[in-house]
Amino acid sequence: MSTAAATFVSRFGVWWTILRICIEERLVYRGDFALGTLMRFLPIITQTFLWTAVFVGAGGPAAIGGFTRDEFIAYYLLTYVARAFSSMPGLASSIAAQVRSGEIKKYLVQPIDLLTFLFLSRLAHKLVYYAVATAPFALVFYICRGYFHGWPDAPTLGAFVLSLMMSFLLGFFLEATLGMIGFWFLEVSSLLFVYMLFNFFFSGHMFPLTILSEPWRTIVLYQPLQYLAYFPAAVFLGKVQGPELVQGLLGQAAWTFAFIVAARTAMHFGLKRYSAFGG
Amino acid sequence: MQPNYFAVFREFARNSLVREMTFRGNFILDCISSLSWVFMQLGLYLVIFEHTNQLGDGTGWSRWPFFVFLATTLFVNSLVQFFFMTNMEELSDLIRTGNLDFALLKPIDTQFLLSMRKFEWSSLANLVFAAILLGVALTHLDFTPTPLQMLLYVFYVMCGVALLYSLMIGLGSISVWLGRNESLYDFWFYITNFSRYPMEIYSGPFGTPLRLAFTFAVPILLVANVPARLMAWPLASQDWRLAAYAAVASIVALVASRKVFYKALDAYRSASS
Amino acid sequence: MPVVEIEGLTKSYRVYQKNEGLLAAVRGLFHRQYRTVDAVRGIDLTVEQGEFVAFLGPNGAGKTTTLKLLSGVIHPSGGTAHVMGYVPWKREHAYRRRFALVMGQKNQLWWDLPAQESFRLHQQIYRIDATDFDRTRDELTELLQVRQLLGRPVRELSLGERMKMELIAALLHSPEVLFLDEPTIGLDVVAQHNIQQFLKHYQEVRQITILLTSHYMKDVAALCRRAVIIAQGRIMYDGSLAGIVDRFSGHKVVTLAFADDAELPNLARFGTVVEARAPKVKLRVDRPKVAEMLAAVLSQHVVSDVSVEDPPLEEVIADMFQSAEASLATADA
Repeated sequence: MSTAAATFVSRFGVWWTILRICIEERLVYRGDFALGTLMRFLPIITQTFLWTAVFVGAGGPAAIGGFTRDEFIAYYLLTYVARAFSSMPGLASSIAAQVRSGEIKKYLVQPIDLLTFLFLSRLAHKLVYYAVATAPFALVFYICRGYFHGWPDAPTLGAFVLSLMMSFLLGFFLEATLGMIGFWFLEVSSLLFVYMLFNFFFSGHMFPLTILSEPWRTIVLYQPLQYLAYFPAAVFLGKVQGPELVQGLLGQAAWTFAFIVAARTAMHFGLKRYSAFGG
Repeated sequence: MQPNYFAVFREFARNSLVREMTFRGNFILDCISSLSWVFMQLGLYLVIFEHTNQLGDGTGWSRWPFFVFLATTLFVNSLVQFFFMTNMEELSDLIRTGNLDFALLKPIDTQFLLSMRKFEWSSLANLVFAAILLGVALTHLDFTPTPLQMLLYVFYVMCGVALLYSLMIGLGSISVWLGRNESLYDFWFYITNFSRYPMEIYSGPFGTPLRLAFTFAVPILLVANVPARLMAWPLASQDWRLAAYAAVASIVALVASRKVFYKALDAYRSASS
Repeated sequence: MPVVEIEGLTKSYRVYQKNEGLLAAVRGLFHRQYRTVDAVRGIDLTVEQGEFVAFLGPNGAGKTTTLKLLSGVIHPSGGTAHVMGYVPWKREHAYRRRFALVMGQKNQLWWDLPAQESFRLHQQIYRIDATDFDRTRDELTELLQVRQLLGRPVRELSLGERMKMELIAALLHSPEVLFLDEPTIGLDVVAQHNIQQFLKHYQEVRQITILLTSHYMKDVAALCRRAVIIAQGRIMYDGSLAGIVDRFSGHKVVTLAFADDAELPNLARFGTVVEARAPKVKLRVDRPKVAEMLAAVLSQHVVSDVSVEDPPLEEVIADMFQSAEASLATADA
């Protein structure tokens, strides 16, 4: 009996050790990851000082482009949230690389759809990311809570969440469409770089798009990239309301649908061309 | 007998150019991409100066003086990129593969060899753009800079390069010590980000300590601020103290970082094969 | 005066214990576990001008570490070394221009450029006079038959061609001492032979001092009269290649062919039978017993052929390493 007990104790000891090491590993890994995510918020510091100086220099106006100084900071923080949904690092380039290497062939013979597969794996990827990144995001928002004037009302919050979901879809299908260009041109890296720059500027990651002067302001508010960062942030801050909000959400839905169709069409013709010409 | 450093330098420059020219497509793409980032920065400030006359209250950083500042930041950064950036990025590779061994065998200053092996010619695109921007901004200032200002400007741009380079060498030493280079590059980016703005914007209960830290502890705020201040408006006596300090800080930083780097090289254990 | 003088040289370093996997790697950033490795445990060695010495030993024996210590790449933990009167790890320019190190597994030429561009760079770094440089380069490219490859980017060269270029780069400044670390590793037989021939010729003509490490016994046999065997960071043997067998192998390999091939006699009492395939028997016999054994066999059987050989060098050395490892393991335990 005592030997059996001893065996059990020692076995339990082994289990416990393994469990502890795994948890430790997870925690340290998370710690490192969280630290990296926090580091990414560092530019917020200089942006805060910069826009404070801009408002002071302008003689302390109530708002620039409809945003007060506090709202500017809040806006930047919210664009980080929006981009956590809409940015798809490496998606387009990996599609193009698969075309180039011929790996794309497996989707011709396997009963799986390329886009579905990529979408699911990207979704999983994002879910894991949110699980780990929520804590650092929460910390930063808590520290910066002074820049927000309370939570928005429930309908606004609902619209915000809806637009984040759609920004994920839009971001995915937009980048996937770009990646499909790889079927026609082998070297797409330069194209992707140009897209990245445009994205950075016209998604509103650098500043709220409404501070642009006319006619630019009207023009940029018609293009799809605004939905990747500017629009969700503006919705949260209550800058888009009433019929404008409905119009905006419909616009985002329309662009999202357009790029779903575009990605599907491009894939259809791309694979057709690929199987016709071979890899 | 000392090696002819100038001849070696010329050889490095030539070899890097030959190399970049063999991958011409890449080279052009690099030029375009680095220029595009600059254009976006410029775009941001053009938008900002639509809404304000100057940054901060009574700082003097109105549109054209600020563009002098922006051009200065570009100058310093593109020079650092041209001479040192590729080499520092490659330093971690050299450590990992053990190829740092070869550098330690050559009868030439090891820091020189490791810092200047490869020139990034594509960053000259930014340098040219910075020169144009500076030229345009200067003609719009409401005074004409004196030759003395021009001289001081050139000198302090070099001091700025020296300060950034010292920081880089310091980070490089850490990677020699650790035998790896994890996220040092990110660290470099986040730190130097603070140097790209006029120092006056760091004010208030949080800004002032930040300004003091980046002026005295890690003096990266001197990098662009000092040359830009000496050029953007007529020489003023209140800038002299900062300028004198910047000159001293650059020399101290160069000497100290060199000492640290050589300490790190002494600790170097080449990757076993 | 000897060219290389080493006394009590030791090198131990702490190795960061890497664990498999990304998580472990990240964890390692916070908790580092170290293990001390004694790469070199007290080496004494003297090499005279014009000698061609081979360092033999298994992986991790300390050969490469010794060469790196001698070239000043790393600092020792203890002991002294002088090469041509210089202390290598002081890293003096004057010393650096008088020796060269070639590492078979590493590449110092600019990858994307033709080798001649790297040579030019060396000319400037070592301040080689232009006429000397042209003469040396032409001579070396001629000897190694790579003249037509000078203008081709290094990345397009074969491994053997690249090694030749590496050798040229190392010899451009006419070093008086040359350290070669596995110069023929990974090369095909022809390329190996070419490089051996070149080294042999070059050393004979120039009378420089060369220290070479290699896994290939052929390199060593072709080039070096003196072999230094290192195992577990210590010198096990220092002398001629032939002497290794005399000293470390207590047996000979005897092969007998019997004329009456109907049945092979049982010879187990004389030694260890390695192979028995009628009409031949191959066996290992302790050296003092060879004469006795031959007399006995020849008196009882009709033997058509006899050969008595030393065992192959590789085998002797491998045995030696094994026993060194075993004795060290017991000493440590």
